[in-house]
Amino acid sequence: MHPPTVDNQSIYAPRSCRLLAVSKLTPQEKLFRLRLEDGRELNHQPGQFVQVSIPGLTEAPISIASSPTCKGYFELGVRKAGLLTGALHQLQPGAQIGIRGPFGRPFQLEALLGKQLLLLAGGCGLAPLRSLIQYCQKQSSAYSAVQILYGARSPQDLLFKDDLEDWQLSTNFNCRYTVDQAPASSCYDGETGLLTRLLADVQVEADNCCAVLVGPPPMYQPVISALHRMGLNGPQQIMLSLERQMRCGVGKCGHCTIDHLYCCSDGPIFWLEEVEHLRGAL
Amino acid sequence: MLKQLNRADLDLLLTQISDEYRLQVPQLLADGTRQLAGYTGEAELSLTGEVLQRKPSAFFFPQTQRLLDIDTAGAVAVPQPAEKPLALFGLNQADLAGIRFLDRFFRAAPADDAYLRQRNGALLIGLTGMAGPDNCFLSLSAGDCDIELVAVKESWLALGHSSDGEKLLQNFPEGDKTQLVRMRHLNEGTAAESDLLQQASQLLIEDRVPDQFWMEIADRCILCSGCNLVCPTCSCFCVQDRNRGEITERSRVWDSCQLDAFMREASGHNPLGTDALRTRRRIHHKLAADVERWGEFGCVACGRCDRTCPTGIGMMAVAEEMVKCFGPGKP
Amino acid sequence: MNATLTTCPYCGTGCNFYLLSDDRGRLSGVEPAAKHPVSRGQLCIKGWNAHAFVDHPKRLKTPLIRKNGKLQPTDWQTALDLLHDKLSEIAAKEGPDSLMFLSSAKVSNEENYLLMKLARAGYGTNNIDHCARLCHSSTVTGLVETLGSGAMTNSLSCFEETELVFVIGSNTTEQHPLIGSRILQAVQRGAKLLVADSRKIRLSRHADLHLRHQNGSDVALLNGMMWQILQDGLENRAFIAQRTENFSALQHSLKAFTPDYVARITGLQPGQIIAAARQFATSDRAMIVYAMGITQHSHGVDNVRAISNLALLTGNLGRPGTGINPLRGQNNVQGACDMGALPDVYSGYQKVSDPQIREKFSTAWSVKLPETPGRMSTHAIEAAAGGELHGMLVLGENPVISDANQALVRQALGKLEFLAVIDIFLTETAQLADLVLPAACYAERDGTFTSTERRVQRGRKVIEPPGDARADWQILVALLHRCGLKNDYTAPAEIMHEIASLTPSYGGIDYSRLEGDGLQWPCPDPAHPGSPILHLEECARGKGHFSPVDYRPPGELPDAEYPLLLNTGRTAFHWHTGSMTRRSHLLDREERHAFVEVNPEDAITYQISERQQLKISSRRGSIYAATRVTDRVPSGQIFIPFHFAEAAANVLTNNLLDPESGIPEFKVCAVRIEPC
Repeated sequence: MHPPTVDNQSIYAPRSCRLLAVSKLTPQEKLFRLRLEDGRELNHQPGQFVQVSIPGLTEAPISIASSPTCKGYFELGVRKAGLLTGALHQLQPGAQIGIRGPFGRPFQLEALLGKQLLLLAGGCGLAPLRSLIQYCQKQSSAYSAVQILYGARSPQDLLFKDDLEDWQLSTNFNCRYTVDQAPASSCYDGETGLLTRLLADVQVEADNCCAVLVGPPPMYQPVISALHRMGLNGPQQIMLSLERQMRCGVGKCGHCTIDHLYCCSDGPIFWLEEVEHLRGAL
Repeated sequence: MLKQLNRADLDLLLTQISDEYRLQVPQLLADGTRQLAGYTGEAELSLTGEVLQRKPSAFFFPQTQRLLDIDTAGAVAVPQPAEKPLALFGLNQADLAGIRFLDRFFRAAPADDAYLRQRNGALLIGLTGMAGPDNCFLSLSAGDCDIELVAVKESWLALGHSSDGEKLLQNFPEGDKTQLVRMRHLNEGTAAESDLLQQASQLLIEDRVPDQFWMEIADRCILCSGCNLVCPTCSCFCVQDRNRGEITERSRVWDSCQLDAFMREASGHNPLGTDALRTRRRIHHKLAADVERWGEFGCVACGRCDRTCPTGIGMMAVAEEMVKCFGPGKP
Repeated sequence: MNATLTTCPYCGTGCNFYLLSDDRGRLSGVEPAAKHPVSRGQLCIKGWNAHAFVDHPKRLKTPLIRKNGKLQPTDWQTALDLLHDKLSEIAAKEGPDSLMFLSSAKVSNEENYLLMKLARAGYGTNNIDHCARLCHSSTVTGLVETLGSGAMTNSLSCFEETELVFVIGSNTTEQHPLIGSRILQAVQRGAKLLVADSRKIRLSRHADLHLRHQNGSDVALLNGMMWQILQDGLENRAFIAQRTENFSALQHSLKAFTPDYVARITGLQPGQIIAAARQFATSDRAMIVYAMGITQHSHGVDNVRAISNLALLTGNLGRPGTGINPLRGQNNVQGACDMGALPDVYSGYQKVSDPQIREKFSTAWSVKLPETPGRMSTHAIEAAAGGELHGMLVLGENPVISDANQALVRQALGKLEFLAVIDIFLTETAQLADLVLPAACYAERDGTFTSTERRVQRGRKVIEPPGDARADWQILVALLHRCGLKNDYTAPAEIMHEIASLTPSYGGIDYSRLEGDGLQWPCPDPAHPGSPILHLEECARGKGHFSPVDYRPPGELPDAEYPLLLNTGRTAFHWHTGSMTRRSHLLDREERHAFVEVNPEDAITYQISERQQLKISSRRGSIYAATRVTDRVPSGQIFIPFHFAEAAANVLTNNLLDPESGIPEFKVCAVRIEPC
C-alpha cells in the first residue's frame, strides 16, 4: 500500500468531507450541508451528483441540491432508502464522510439562456432541481420567465417547504406545487392532484420554452405528453434527468447503462430526443 | 520481424521472460482443466488444446480486486503495483481481442487505475496456428499482442508485434516466410462465427426480435451468472467493503446483469425487472449497444459462455436460435 | 495466483471447482473444473461465489468462554479442558445419555466419523445426530425398509439417458441448480417432465404436466397414480414378479384411491392424475426426483414409501435413466449419514443394536460401547426442554434458525447446563453457548465429502484458517486425546484408513484413489471401481418391498383462526441459515431481506400491496416480512424462506414430528397474516 496522501491517485478514492449541518425535510428525507476537508469548493454544476462513501457500507449516488453559487458548502437531500442512506440519516454535524465527484453531465445551462423555463419536479426530484433553481435565482435576468411546478405524494412529503415559500414570494419565479392526495386530517390547503393538472393551465410561448423534468420514472410519460400538447416538440426543448443505480460515477461499473449510454457519465441529464427511442430509458 | 523457435528456443524465451515478468503459461490442472498458471520451468506446458478455462483478462480485472483502503480518519491508501509486471502466454485471437476491448474500456477517461495497475507493462504472448485441440488451426491474432507464436509443425513462427516483443525475440533464428504465408492463407475463411453474430446483431439493431423470444430463452436461465463471469469483455462490477479494525478494505467484485438486484434501486424500482429483460440485455448489450458505443461487438466469440451455461443459452446458441427464428427469409 | 481443486461447500450435487488464492493466502475467486464429471466447467450462483464468505471479518478467530454472561476470548488449552471437563462431569453426574452431540453435514466424512466415535467411545452415548434429521431422515427410514439402502439409487449422468423425469417436492433449478440444468437439458433433447409442486417453480414452465397438488397430499397423489397404472394394466409385471415382494398388499391398499377420490384430497382434476400416471408408466426409463417437499412432513416416511412403491410398480429401478433420486441438500449430508452421525447406526449404517457390529467397533476402538440407540436431534430438543438433557456439543449447525418452532429450541438450549458450539461464525446458536470454538472452513482443511450420488470426493486445504481457528478434525482429535482414545491421526487421510477398515461400503476408499473423479460407494475393496447405480441385479435388501401406505393429512391445516397454509423453503441465493451466503456480498445483495410470497388473489383479499410489511403469525409465534405478490404460490398458501434470522420462518413452523423419522412438518402449518 502507498502511504496515504492528499492527492488521490485513484478514481475510486473518496475525499474527506465534514458534515456542517443536518435538517429534517420530511419524515423520510434530510438535508445535509457539507464542506470538503481540504477547504476547496466542490466546483459542481447544477444537475451533477456525488458518490457518498461510508466505510463498511460502500457508496451511494446523491444529487447535489445546492447551487455552485453557494460558496463554502454544498448540500445533499437524502431519502432514507438503503443501508448507506439509513446510516447517513444517523449522522450528526461534525461527522466525517467521504465524497467522490462531482460526476455526470449537468443541466445544459447554455441552452436555457434567454428561454422561458418550465422547471418540473416530482418527489425527490426537487433536490437536484433546487440546485438549478438557486442558480437561476442568482441570474434571473438571463431567462425570460421561470415557472416552477412541483408535485409530491402528500403534504408531509413536500420537500424544501421554506424554499417553496421563498420561490412563491419571489418576483422572478412563478412557483406552484401540488400533492397527489391530502389526508382529511391534514391542515394542508394547497392544490391537490397530479403534476399534469398544474400543467393544464400553464401558458408558455412554445417556441421559446424549455422544460426541465426531474422526478420518478412514472412521472415522465404523462408529463412529456402534456408538454408535447403544449407545443414543446422541437429539439432541445425537453431536458430530463434519469435515475439509475450509479455505483461508480465514472462509467465503469455498468449498473447504470441505458442501452449504449452510461447514465452516470453520459447523463444523468439528457435531452429527450437523446433517450426517448431507447428501450427502457423512460 | 519473423523468427522461428524450436522447443528449446521456446523454453529459453520463456525463461528469459520469467526473469523480468510474472509469467503465466497454459497448463493442465488436476482434473485436466486447461488454464494459465505461474511458470515454474518444471510443470509441463499445454501448448495445444481447448480455450483456456479462465479468461486471461481476469489477471487484469480479477473476480475480487482491491480498490483501496480507508482508515477511520478517512485517509485513503491505494494498492501498490506488483514489482514485476505480468506476462501472459498462450492467448488465442479471441483472448487478445477481449483484452483489447477491456483495455479501451478501462483506459477511457477517467482511466481505471485499478485495472491499469495490473495491465500497465504487462506482456501479451499470443499462441495461434496449429495450437488448438488435436493441433487444429486457431485464427491468427490481429497483432494486438507483444509476441505472437504461430504453431507450425514442431516449431513456432514468432512475430514481434511491439518493440518489447521484438527485443525479446531478437536473438532467435529467422523464420520461414512461406510457412507464415500458408498460415495466413488458412486464416481466411474462419469467419463463420462472426457471420452469425453479424446477422444476430442486425436483427437486434432493427428491433426484429419479439419479447416472446426473450421470455422463452429466459425461462431456461437458472441465474448462475456464469455467462457474465466468464466473458472476457464483461466489465460490470459491484463494490464490497470489509471492515477490519481500523481499516476498511474496499474491493470490487465481478457482477452480473442477469441478477435481479443488478439494477434494482433502493425504492424497489427496477429498469431490468424481469428475467426476459435481463436476458435480452445480455445479448443486446454485446451485439447492439456495444456496436453503437464502441463500433464493434462486445462478443469476441471465445465460446466461454456457451461452455459454462448449464442450460445451453450462451451467446452463440442464442444468436443461432435468433437467426433461425427471425433471420433472412423469415417473415 | 494459485488454483486448488476442491468440492463446493453448498448443496449435495458435488460440483468441483478451483479456488483461486493469492500469495498472501487470500481467496480471490472460483473457477469451475472443466473436466470434472459433475461440474463440467459450470457452476451455480452460490458456487461462483463460494470464496466470498471465507475471509469475512466476522469469522471466529479465537475460542470464547462465557464469563459473567458474556463470551470472552480464551486459549485453546483452557477451552478444550473446559469442554472435556464439563462433558465428563455431566456424564458422570447425570449419565452419558444426558449428553447430546450434533454433528454437521458441512464437515467432512472424517470429522463426522470422529465425532461419532467421540460420542460413543469417548463419552459413552449414542446421542449423536445431525441435520439429516431435518431433511432426509424420512428417506433413509423409508428406503432402507423398501430397498435396503437410503441413498439416491442412480447417478446424475442418468439424466442423459432417461425418457421421463418426475420431479415431486424439489425446486431443483434453485436448490440443486446443476441438477436442475440436467433436467432442462433432458427436456431439450425430448424427455418428458412431470412436476408435482404446489408452487410454480421454474421447472414447471418446462413441464408436460404441472400438478399443483395441496401441500401434504403427496401420498394421495402417488397412490392415485398407482391406482390408475393398475387400472390400465401398465405395471411392470415381470419386474414385480422377479424383484419385489408384498405386491398384493399394495394392490389391496390402493383400492380407495380412485382419481375422483384423489382429486378431492389433492385439489387436482381427475384427468391430471390419470395423465400423470399414464405418462409415467408408459415411459421405459423414468426417474423420480424428490427433496424436502416429500420428506418434511409428519408423514414424510409414508411419502417416501409411496415413491418407492411407484418405482417398484413400474420397474424403474436398477437401470440407467431410472431410479429413486432423493436429492441431498448439503454437500456432505450423505457422508454424515454414511459416517454414522446418527443415533442408531455406526458408519455404513451398521446397527448399534446388533451385538456383532457393536463387538466389531468395540474391538477396533478398544472400549465398551453403549447398547441402546440414542436420541434423534428433534427428540433431543424436546428432551432438553423437558430437562432431560444437560450438555450439548454442536458442531457446525444452527438449530435456532434451522429447527421447527424456534421458541421451543431457544427454551431447550437455554435449559442446558452446558452448551458448546464449534463453528466458523458466531451463529444464532453460538450466541447462546457457554463455549464457542472457532473452526476452519471448507477452504482451510482437508477432508472428503460424499455427494448426493454417493460420490466420495476430496475437499482440499487452500489457505490457512483465520487467527487461532482450527480444523474440526484437529479439535476432535484433541478431545479424543482427553478421552484417552486413539488420537495420533496426523491427517484426514489416516482417519479415512480407519473408516475404510470398519465400513464395508467405504472399504475401497483411499485418498490415493480420490485424485480423479472420486468414487461412488458402495466401493467395498481397493480394486472396486465404485457403483454408479444401486440395486442392479437385486435390491440391497434382496427383494424390493412394497410398503403400502394410507393418506394421512398434515398435522395442522388452515382453519378460521389461522386461515392460510405456510410453506417454507429456500431461495436460489441463500444457504440455510445464511451464515455463509448472507456474508457473501453478491448473494446478500440479491436477497437482503426476508420476504413472504402471497398470491395475487390473497393480496386483494387482505388488501396487501407489493413490498408491504406483513405480520405473519402461527400458534407458535409471529414474524414480520415484506410482501412479494406472485402467482408462484397458489391462493391460500404463503411461502417464506427460512434463511433470515430477523424474520425466521421457523418461529412459525410446527414441530410436529414424523413418528418414525422424527422429521418436523416444515412444509405445512397454519398461519394468519396482517398488513402493518
